[in-house]
Amino acid sequence: MAVYRRGYNRYKGRITGRWTRFMVLPRFAWRRLFQQRLVVLLLVSAMVWPLLCAGFVYISNHAELLKGLDSEFQRFVEVSGNFFIIFMNVQALFAVFLAALAGPGLIAPDLANNALPLYFSRPVTRADYALAKLVVLFGMLSIVTWVPGLVLFGMQVGMAGGWWFWSNWSLGFGIFSGFAIWVLLVSMVALAGSAYVKWRMVAGGLVLGFFFILAGVATMINGVFRVTWGHALNPAWAVNRLWFALLSVDPPDGPGVVACVSVLAGITLFLALVLERKLRPVEVIR
Amino acid sequence: MNAPAVIFEEVSKFYGEVLGVNRVTLRIPPGITSLVGPNGSGKTTLMNLMTGLIHPDHGSILMRGISPRDPERLMRITGYATQYDAAPRRATGFSFITTGLLLFGYSRAEAEEKAWKALERLSLTDAAHRRIAAYSKGMRQRVRLAQAIAHEPELLVLDEPLNGLDPLVRAETIALFRSWASEGRHVILSSHVLQEVDVISDQVVLIANGMILAEGEIRNVREEIHERPSQFIIRCPDASRIASLLFNEDHISEVRLNDDRMGLLVMTRDHRQFSLALGRIASAGHRIDGVIPADENVDALYEYLIGESC
Repeated sequence: MAVYRRGYNRYKGRITGRWTRFMVLPRFAWRRLFQQRLVVLLLVSAMVWPLLCAGFVYISNHAELLKGLDSEFQRFVEVSGNFFIIFMNVQALFAVFLAALAGPGLIAPDLANNALPLYFSRPVTRADYALAKLVVLFGMLSIVTWVPGLVLFGMQVGMAGGWWFWSNWSLGFGIFSGFAIWVLLVSMVALAGSAYVKWRMVAGGLVLGFFFILAGVATMINGVFRVTWGHALNPAWAVNRLWFALLSVDPPDGPGVVACVSVLAGITLFLALVLERKLRPVEVIR
Repeated sequence: MNAPAVIFEEVSKFYGEVLGVNRVTLRIPPGITSLVGPNGSGKTTLMNLMTGLIHPDHGSILMRGISPRDPERLMRITGYATQYDAAPRRATGFSFITTGLLLFGYSRAEAEEKAWKALERLSLTDAAHRRIAAYSKGMRQRVRLAQAIAHEPELLVLDEPLNGLDPLVRAETIALFRSWASEGRHVILSSHVLQEVDVISDQVVLIANGMILAEGEIRNVREEIHERPSQFIIRCPDASRIASLLFNEDHISEVRLNDDRMGLLVMTRDHRQFSLALGRIASAGHRIDGVIPADENVDALYEYLIGESC
C-alpha cells in the first residue's frame, strides 16, 4: 500500500453567511430569467393595469374631476375593497402566465441534465434547493402582485390622508397576505410541474392546465349537480374567496373560508409531496 | 500514524427490490483508488453513498471521519464529478465554477481566484469565458473535473473522469491525480477501462452485481486467488521442448506456443510449484530468457473473478 504524508492544508478562511450562500441560487436564476425577452415583456405588460389603477386612485381622490358626474359613478370610483379585488384578479392572471413561462426553466433542466448531484455535492440540501427555487418565483411574482398592490394602497393613503389609513389598514394587510397566498400557490404549482416533467413546454402547459382545467371541472360539477361546493375544487376560486374575507368584501355564493383553506392546504401538501418525491439527486428507474 | 480513511461497514443499499450494493465492507486509505466493474455493477451507487447523495439502508459509512449524513461538513472536504454533462449550457466555464464556489461560501474574490486556478490546472483558461455549450466533449469533461477540484478537496470522488479526454490531457489529468494523492488526499475514481486503472491506481476495488469481489493492490488481490490459474509468458529459444517438459507437471493446465516458437504462454494452478519446475528446467541446461506474469492486470483479474472481461 502506498503511504502518503499529509501535504495539504484544509481551508481555514472565513466563509460567507448562510443566507448569502443560500441567495447564490436565486441570484443566478434571476439573472438568467431576466435575460429572457418573453419574461421581461410579460413583466412590463403586467405593469399596465397597475398604472391604470393608479390613474383611477388619482381620479377618485380629486373631487374636482368628479364634479357634475353621476353620484352612482362617484360611488363606483371609490377606492375600496372591491377596487382592490378587481385589481388583484387581473394581476393574479399575470402571475399565472409568468409562472408558466418562468417556472418550468427552474427545475426541469436540472432534472433533464442530471444536475441535482452538482448542487447536492455542495453544502446545499434538498430543502435549500427547493426553497431557493421558490424564492426565485416568489420574488419575481411579487413584482406584479403585492408590490404594485401596496404601492397603490400607499398612493391612496397618501392622497386620502391618515384617516383613510386608520379605517382601511386591513386592506393593506389583505392585499399583502392575499397575494402572498396566491403567489405561494402559483409558485408551488410551477415548481411541482417543473419537477414532474422534464420538458419545459409541457411543464408550462401543466401550470396553465392546473388552473384552467380545475376551474372547468369545478364549473362542470356545479352545473351538473346544481351545487356550489364544486368551487372548492377550483384553487383560483378558493384563493379568491380568501381575498373577499381578507378585504372585507361580500363573498359570492359557495364554500366558506374554512373549506377553502382546507382545500388549499391539501393542494399545497400534495405539491410539496410531488417536489419531495421528484427532487432526488439519484433517479432510479426500476 | 493513522491516516484518515474511507470506511464502509456492512453497507447495503436497495432501490425498492433492486439491489444497489450488498454488505459492502471497505477501508480505503489515501491515494488513488479505482472502483472497477461493468455497467450496473454498483460503482456509481458506491460513489453516491460516499457523497451522501443517497443513504444506505443498512450499515454505516465514514468519509475521513465524517458521516455522509452531515453534508455541510462532508462537502467542504469533498469534490464530486458525476459522469453526466450537467453544467448549464448558457453558463461559461468560469461562471459555472465561480458560482459553485460561492455556494461553498467563498467570497467572490476568493471564488474567482480559485476558479482560475482550477481552470488553469485543467488547461481551460483560454476557453474560460466561452459558453459551456460551445465546449467539445473533452472540454466539458475537464470543466466537470475543474468544478470538483476547485475548492481543493481532500476527498475527490470522480465518476469515469478520463472518458473523452485526449491523450495529452489524459496524461496531465493523471499527473494531477498523482500529485493530489501524493499529498495524502483520497482520489476515488470509477472506470471500466481496466488498462488505465492498472496504470494509475494504488489500489482497486473490484465490484460486480453490487458485491465487492476483491480490494487492495492489484498484485495482492491477484495473489489471494490461489486456486485460480495464473498466466506466465516464458521467452526461450527452445519453446517446444520446454512446453513438453512443463506438460509433465500436474499444476500446469495449459501451454500455448507462440507463433515465432520463441516463447510460450503457460497457465498454472500453483505459483510455487511453477517456480520450482522452472528452476529444474533451467538447471537441466535449458535456456530461459525471461518469465513475465501475463495476468497481473485487472482485466485478467476480472475475467477470473466474474468470468467475463469488461
